[in-house]
Amino acid sequence: MFHWLEKNPFFFALAVFATIAFAGLVEIIPNFAQSSRPLIGTTPYSTLELAGRHVYIKNSCNACHSQLIRPFKSETDRYGDYSLSGEYAYDRPFLWGSKRTGPDLMRVGNYRTTDWHENHMWDPEKVVPGTIMPAYRWMFVNNTDVDTAYAEMITVEKFFGVPYNKPVPMKDGSTKTIKMADTLHQARKDALAEARIIVKDMKHQDVIDAVEVGRIPEIVALIAYMNSLK
Amino acid sequence: MGIAELQSYGFLTVTIFLTVALYAYIYHLYKNRKDADGHDYEDYADLALNDDLSDTPVNAKNRDK
Amino acid sequence: MENRPLEYDYSVSKLFIYTSLGIGFVGMLVGVIIAWEMAFPAINTIFGDGAIAEYTNFSRLRVLHTDSVIYGFVLSGVWATWYYVGQRVLKVSMAESKTLMYVGYAHFWIYLFAAVVLVISLLMGITQSKEYAEFEWPLDLGITTVWLLWGASIAGLIGLRREKTLYISIWYYIATFLAVAMLHLLNNLAIPTYYASNGIGAWYHSVSMYAGTNDALVQWWFGHNAVAFVLTTPIIAMIYYFLPKESGQAIYSYKLSLLSFWGLMFIYLWAGGHHILFSTVPDWVQTLGSVFSVILILPSWGSAINMLLTMKGEWQQVASNPIIKFMVMGSTFYMFSTLEGPIQAIKSVNAIAHFTDWIIGHVHDGALGWVVFMIMGAVYHMIPRLYGREIYSKKIMATQFWIQTLGIVLYFTSMWIAGITQGMMWRAHDEFGNLAYSFIDTVTVLHPYFVIRAVGGTLYLIGFAMFIYNVVMTARNGRRVEASELHNTTPMAD
Repeated sequence: MFHWLEKNPFFFALAVFATIAFAGLVEIIPNFAQSSRPLIGTTPYSTLELAGRHVYIKNSCNACHSQLIRPFKSETDRYGDYSLSGEYAYDRPFLWGSKRTGPDLMRVGNYRTTDWHENHMWDPEKVVPGTIMPAYRWMFVNNTDVDTAYAEMITVEKFFGVPYNKPVPMKDGSTKTIKMADTLHQARKDALAEARIIVKDMKHQDVIDAVEVGRIPEIVALIAYMNSLK
Repeated sequence: MGIAELQSYGFLTVTIFLTVALYAYIYHLYKNRKDADGHDYEDYADLALNDDLSDTPVNAKNRDK
Repeated sequence: MENRPLEYDYSVSKLFIYTSLGIGFVGMLVGVIIAWEMAFPAINTIFGDGAIAEYTNFSRLRVLHTDSVIYGFVLSGVWATWYYVGQRVLKVSMAESKTLMYVGYAHFWIYLFAAVVLVISLLMGITQSKEYAEFEWPLDLGITTVWLLWGASIAGLIGLRREKTLYISIWYYIATFLAVAMLHLLNNLAIPTYYASNGIGAWYHSVSMYAGTNDALVQWWFGHNAVAFVLTTPIIAMIYYFLPKESGQAIYSYKLSLLSFWGLMFIYLWAGGHHILFSTVPDWVQTLGSVFSVILILPSWGSAINMLLTMKGEWQQVASNPIIKFMVMGSTFYMFSTLEGPIQAIKSVNAIAHFTDWIIGHVHDGALGWVVFMIMGAVYHMIPRLYGREIYSKKIMATQFWIQTLGIVLYFTSMWIAGITQGMMWRAHDEFGNLAYSFIDTVTVLHPYFVIRAVGGTLYLIGFAMFIYNVVMTARNGRRVEASELHNTTPMAD
């Protein structure tokens, strides 16, 4: 058997492939269905939140911030309840990160506010003296790509059955419905309506003016996303 | 029998198979010392040392098509 | 010899060598820049905080650093050696087949094009965020094409070979090809949103087929094994050829090399779970990841010890030949790094080490000490043979070796201290059970280590620049030598 493998490159390659593919099959498949089930109270992202998530990804926030609270006292003291699998059911891609140059953001919506983020993203050093986080001022200028977020909503609803426009059970027994617009035009309007609520707590005049005329700077979407992390 | 149970049996079987195969391979290598064509395995180390086009292959392949 | 009709054709190998040098320098330069940015954040906005700040910011550059070094520098280095070693150990010249030459050139030029697109897209922030698999689907398809072309080259050369037995290096190249193909395709399964929504939004955007925990599991199965099959197996392929060839010593035990191969193949793929310990993936996967990481020491050390023992009785060569120095130091760092990794994968150690700079330190002692040293050693061995010239300067090589070794030592020692310090501070409680430090306390304390790391990185980059200079000068100005002088030890001018 071994003699034969060593002399037949094709079957040799097959043997190598079988050896390396085995581990993946065993580790990934068994709990696949179970791991993708959402927790009660976990809702899909709204249009603006999803657009904000794209801003987060675009700027590789996950390179320095994790979204995974490990089950240690020191972590639950610092960041809140430890993470549960079902909380990530609508996260495509996952954003756990692998490095905490800055703190975890899994539940940042619980303890930071819109204006905190606004000031911090504009000038981190002023809010947290000694920080090594750079400023992200271009987010106050660049426009949010709502269209792509909307396209993603359509996609995940169509292919993965993400429950948009359907009642989602909440922890207190009530239900909540996350809206997905029927048309692109309506989606843009929905995002703008969400942006108006965020901007009420903001002081940066250019941003306020932009939303006034129907533009959504990236910072607004990002804050919407941050506030949704609970 | 659920899928999880099936998988655990599958896992056990394949792991035992691969472990046996690996040890059988070790046994094979060190007992025979030579491969099917009668070359000592250690001779193949020369493949890196005598690797000019004009050098004689350790185990020549018939290239007539 | 003069009228020998057939010679090995190294034209594709040369192209890959220069690409490797170029992208390698840029990738490491970006690495040094972001290292200084972590020490002195003002550098993030060195060109002002206006529109340009977006492209000088740590967050954009960090991805550019990792991807350009892994896929730009290392892969082109690997391919440079493939188009050199592949022909030699199979005893077949690429020039014997026009098709193989076309495949080789197509492989190179499509790769280069993809690399340029990749750099631009990462700077623009077009990413799907998965580490080392940041590229969106159009680039993923491009990478697949490049990969298949490489596969065609492997299959083609093997089909034409004169040597029936595949040398151990070829085994490792084949394994690299297969594993990365599998990992790349499965991890990047995604649905392009533009087409799924009938033409809305950005055309290049896609959404992952996996969600949350599953996505993490698939990603780290990929991420860990990308390290295995881009940064380890092809490098082992190199050392199994270049160290024996350069030293003139046969591999200590060819049988051991075969055993380590199968051991590595079987065990490596299991260990991905150690990246997500204490996360929400099932406990048994985490435990498997942890246990297999420890077992992984065996085949890794099997290869490394085999390499070191190859030098048995010839240790004076380590002192006299800088190329051997690079390779022996590379094997040593490989042993070191494959011991450090399993230690970090032990759950209780990981609780402290995960998310800290210790991990960054680990990656770099493997990458800088093992991968880059091996590629540089391989290039130093190949260049005189590609041009029939002697190495331009042995002195530069030796100096470069020590500068870079010092750089690595500064790098990993500072990151060890930084990582363990931060890990311990995060978990410290005072006598009342409250957290002892706020997060920012654990950041400011790292400043000196970030500076030391940046210095280490800078030293390494200086060494790499010396390497490029030496290679280019060898190709252009090195003294011409006869083929007979190029058999084993590479000729070098002082």
